[in-house]
Amino acid sequence: MGSAEGLHHNRRVIGGAIVTALALGLSLVGGGAVVASRQHAEPLIAMASAKPQRIMSTNLCTDLLLLMLVPKDRIASVTHLAHDAVEVLMPGSDDGVAVNHGTAEEVVLQQPDLILASPWSTPVMRRLAAKVGAPVVEIDSANSFDDIRRITRQVGAFAGEPQRAETLIAEMDRKLAELAHQHPRQPVEVVAWSAGEGVPGRGTLTDEIIRAAGAVNVAARMPDDNFSSFGIEELLAARPKGILRGRNGFDGPLLADTASEHPVIRKAFKDRTISFPVFLHSCGLPQSADAAVQLREALGKLPAEGVAW
Amino acid sequence: MVGKVALRALACALLLTCILLSLGTGRIWLEPAVLIGSIFEPKPSLAWLILSELRVPRTILGLLVGASLGLSGAVLQGLLRNPLAEPGLLGVSAGAALGAVIAIYFGLSAAFALATPILGIGGALVAAALTLSIGRGGTLTMILAGAAVSGLMGAGVSLALNFAPNPSAAYEITIWLLGTLENRDWHQLVLAAPFILAGWVCLVLTMRDVDALTLGETQAESLGVNLARTRLLALAGTALSVGAATAVTGSIGFIGLMAPHLVRPFAGHQPGRMLLPSALFGAILLLLADVATRIIPTAGQEVRLGVLTSIVGTPFFLWLVTRLRRMSP
Repeated sequence: MGSAEGLHHNRRVIGGAIVTALALGLSLVGGGAVVASRQHAEPLIAMASAKPQRIMSTNLCTDLLLLMLVPKDRIASVTHLAHDAVEVLMPGSDDGVAVNHGTAEEVVLQQPDLILASPWSTPVMRRLAAKVGAPVVEIDSANSFDDIRRITRQVGAFAGEPQRAETLIAEMDRKLAELAHQHPRQPVEVVAWSAGEGVPGRGTLTDEIIRAAGAVNVAARMPDDNFSSFGIEELLAARPKGILRGRNGFDGPLLADTASEHPVIRKAFKDRTISFPVFLHSCGLPQSADAAVQLREALGKLPAEGVAW
Repeated sequence: MVGKVALRALACALLLTCILLSLGTGRIWLEPAVLIGSIFEPKPSLAWLILSELRVPRTILGLLVGASLGLSGAVLQGLLRNPLAEPGLLGVSAGAALGAVIAIYFGLSAAFALATPILGIGGALVAAALTLSIGRGGTLTMILAGAAVSGLMGAGVSLALNFAPNPSAAYEITIWLLGTLENRDWHQLVLAAPFILAGWVCLVLTMRDVDALTLGETQAESLGVNLARTRLLALAGTALSVGAATAVTGSIGFIGLMAPHLVRPFAGHQPGRMLLPSALFGAILLLLADVATRIIPTAGQEVRLGVLTSIVGTPFFLWLVTRLRRMSP
């Protein structure tokens, strides 16, 4: 027992020494760049005017924002997950951009001067990033169009492209205003249902998108906030006029896809299934307004009469 | 004799009650009268959709899977003369799960519908063959071999999880492994049923031989039992029925262990006689557990069937182990 503890201790000492050595070396190279977290974001915004030249994103949603905001030559890397989403949303815009897996080693290797992370990124990565002197900025996930405005501005400010961010937001707001202007008189009831788990209800971006499109989200009536579970029996009993099904664009097969294809769903919601790009709902992006525009269009094509049962 | 008839009637009544309960309960409460009425009323109606597309296939699948687990548990316990034997303990369930996970997550089942049951059965066969060939020496080696094979198959599932091509697949595999009858349809039932029924035939054919095996392997062979054939039938039967069942429902543990023990006091200690009652009780137990998953009030998702059977099954298993320790010299 004692020897195991000793060994563990030794390892820690060695590990600590390596990290310290790395940190020392790299901070000398980096010229003592600022270490930041969300708590002291203020000085960072001031620093942002310096326009970071090697931005690394470690989260799918910030990948997409970054690719929209910043020229490619200033992006150090985006995550390996980004490519599939980019192919769906903005084909070709990640050509030639390096890829990371959100690991600590890549931080050391790629020597970014700004790291965009989610609140869930690995603590080791963040500790190491702090030690090599790369400022880490935590970007929240978006649950509303307000959040999208805030986050886009935030990333724009840190990346040194506030103007570009404002342009994207203005474009989004123009589309939303157009939708609100032609609000349908008879709102249609829909639900974003795939395999019954994690059906987005009140307080989710999907709910906002559905409302912006002029429809009513059946799942918003569920007692749980955010996401609720919604079995096939409940779905049938709720009798929505249409169901929204996410296409995530990842290649691999998923059971959720087959479960949504339960024959009763296929039969009951024939001509009533609307597919949408999942990334526009799961990541708050200025293009999320496009999801609402597409949904409005699809709602118009739903059969006029209610469900048959 | 009268006692036996009464017991049989009681078991059948229990099974019927479970079937009715399974048809009557769900996430949406529908009055029994409405459910029955929907059969005669114009279609489609909500009650008819729920009954015909969701609850009937779920109940039939529960019957088939529960009976397969009970039957194979009884055969394996007779064959190995070991009260702890069951498909899960011998690695068969884990092997089937591995086969099914590979079929689902590497796109084979999307390309070819029969891939899931066939790979499930294949995985079960490999696992059972490994356990039975390594664990020939005796009871203890068989259990150890089963644990090793279960571990190996579990590692295979972890590897599949590791390399799942879709990021959400890792989460899904984990949930799928917990086992459930929720949202199963006629199509899956029709795919699995022929294999399950073929497995039953193999298992029932061992009935006479497992009786003779109570005297020991040498004596049984001198009585004309072809041991190799019996082993092969038990192996193939378990792999076919449990493999196909697991491929559709995910892993469901402990039913195969509990059912034979529950019927043993009533059916007598002759292994061959226990096969059919064990199958019946396997079905009853599984349907009861499945009804419980729907009734237990949870905020969101249903309690997974495999989780429930394990929670109930583990104390039973521990009780069995302590009882066996007391009985052994």
